[in-house]
Amino acid sequence: MINIQHLKKNFGQNEVLKDISLTVNRGEVISIIGSSGSGKSTLLRCINLLETYHDGTITFEETDILKFPQGINHYRAQVGMIFQSFNLFNHLSVLQNCVIGQVKVLKRTKADAEALAIKTLETVGLKDFIQASVSTLSGGQKQRVAIARTLCMEPKVLLFDEPTSALDPEMVGEVLQVIKSLAKEHRTMIIVTHEMSFAKEVSDRVIFMDQGFICEEGKPEELFLNPKEPRTQAFLSRFIQ
Amino acid sequence: MILLSSAIPNDLLGAAYYLAVKYAPLFLFGIRNTLIIALTSTIIGLFLGLAVGLLKSIPVLPDDPTWKKFAIKLIHFVSSAYVEVFRGTPMMVQAIFIYYTFLNFFKLFPLLGSYKLTAGIVIVSINTGAYMAEIIRAGIQSLDKGQNEAARSIGMSNFQAMFYIILPQAIKNAFPAIGNEFVVNIKDTSVLNVIGTTELFFQANTVAGTTFRFTDTFFVAAILYFVLTYSTTRVLAIIEHRMQVPVSGGPSSSSTPGLIAHTEKQV
Ligand SMILES: Nc1ncnc2c1ncn2[C@@H]1O[C@H](COP(=O)(O)OP(=O)(O)O)[C@@H](O)[C@H]1O
Ligand SMILES: [Mg+2]
Repeated sequence: MINIQHLKKNFGQNEVLKDISLTVNRGEVISIIGSSGSGKSTLLRCINLLETYHDGTITFEETDILKFPQGINHYRAQVGMIFQSFNLFNHLSVLQNCVIGQVKVLKRTKADAEALAIKTLETVGLKDFIQASVSTLSGGQKQRVAIARTLCMEPKVLLFDEPTSALDPEMVGEVLQVIKSLAKEHRTMIIVTHEMSFAKEVSDRVIFMDQGFICEEGKPEELFLNPKEPRTQAFLSRFIQ
Repeated sequence: MILLSSAIPNDLLGAAYYLAVKYAPLFLFGIRNTLIIALTSTIIGLFLGLAVGLLKSIPVLPDDPTWKKFAIKLIHFVSSAYVEVFRGTPMMVQAIFIYYTFLNFFKLFPLLGSYKLTAGIVIVSINTGAYMAEIIRAGIQSLDKGQNEAARSIGMSNFQAMFYIILPQAIKNAFPAIGNEFVVNIKDTSVLNVIGTTELFFQANTVAGTTFRFTDTFFVAAILYFVLTYSTTRVLAIIEHRMQVPVSGGPSSSSTPGLIAHTEKQV
C-alpha cells in the first residue's frame, strides 16, 4: 500500500533520514521504536508530506505521492495523522473538530458529517462530550477527539506520532485502548511509540530506527525477545530496567 | 462679539459648561464625524490588514517555478513597504499627501454631503491597515504551528487552513489589539483637522476661534474625547471577556453557551 524507496531527508547539514526503504501492506500495523532524534517523526511527516524530501520515492497504492493526480491535498486526506500534541482546533467544539474536514475537504453535507462524527465520537467513548469546548477536555480526551477527527475523514492509512507521550500516565491506557481496537479492525497503521508492551501486542511488525537508518525490523516477538543488532539490544535494555 | 465673549463665565468649569451647552450642536456634529471616521476606518483597516497579512504569509516554496517565486517575493516586498511606510511616517503628513493627491477623486464621492469625510475615512483606513497587518501577522504567529499541520493533514488546502482554522483563532487572539486600534483612531482622527474634515478637533477649533477661549474650549474637547475613548474601552473589555480570549494554550474555563453559539457559525 505504501512503498518507500531510498528516502533521504536533511535539514541543512543535518542528515535526518539517510536511506529508508520500507513497504507497508494493506491492513498491516507497524510500530516504529527508537531513541529521540533518530528520525521517526520526520519519516511519518514525509509520508504525510508535511515535510518535503528530495531523494527517494514514496508511492501510495502504486502512485508517486508527489504526482498525485488530484493533488497533494487529496492525497493527505487519505492519510490520517495523529500528533503527539493533539493539535485540536481550539476555536471549535468537539463535534465541529470532527465535522469541519468532512464538510470543507470531502464536501459532505453537514447532516451526513455530523452523523458520522457523532457515531465516531461514540466509538472512542466521548458520547457525552460532543458539544463540549475543546479547552475543557483532559489530555486523554483530547487525543481521542484527535483520533475521531482523523477517522471521520475515512483515511486508508493512520499515522500515529507518539500519541501518548504528552499524556499523564493515568490517561495513556484509554488512548492505547482506542488504538488497539483500531488494530483489531485491520486498519493500516504506522505507530511511533515508546510503549513497548503496547507495540508488542498490536503490531504485525516492529521497526527499530537509529540515527536515520532502519537498524532492524521483524515480528514483535523476534525483535523484542531476540534482537539481533547490538544497538537494538542496547536500546531495549534501557526499557527493561 | 465682545459682548458675547464677556457673557462667558471666567472660571474653567463654568466656562466649559457654558461653551458646551451653547455650542452643543457643533460639538455633537464633531463627535458624530469622529465616530463615523474612527469606526468605518477601523473596520476597513481590519480588512485591509487581513488582506496584506495574508499576502505576506504566502509561502515561497522551493519547488515553485522562478516566475512564481519572483511574483510572490514582489508581493511580499510591496506589502512590507506599505506597512513600513505607513507606520513610519506621521499620519498628518499622510493626510496632506493623500488628500491633495486624490482631491479630484474625493470630490466625486462625497459621503453624507462631505468629500472631506470621504478623504478622512480613506486616510485613516489606509493608516490603520498598516497597523492591522502587523496585528494580524502577530496573531497568526502566536498560534502553534501544529494548528496548520493538523488542518493540512486532514487534506485542507493552504487557503482553507488559513480561512477556517488559523484566521478565526488569530483574530480572536488579536481582538484586544484590534479594539485598541479603534480607541487610537478616535483620538487620531484629530489630525484630519489639517485637511478641514469637520471632526471633533476641527469643531473645537472653530468654537475657540469664535470665542477666543482656547483653554476652556479645548477643556470641553478633552472631556468629550475622554468620554468617547473610556466608554469604548469599557465596552471592548466586556466583549473581550465574553469571548474568553486567549484561544490557545492557557486554561480557559467553562464553555459558555455564548461561546458555543459563536463558534457554531464558523463551520
Ligand atoms: N523542522 C526541523 N528543522 C531542523 N531540524 C529538524 C526539524 N525537525 C526535526 N529536526 C531534526 O531532525 C532530527 C530527527 O528528528 P525527529 O524526526 O523529530 O526524531 P524523533 O521523532 O525520532 O525523535 C533531530 O536531530 C531534529 O533535531
Ligand atoms: Mg518525534
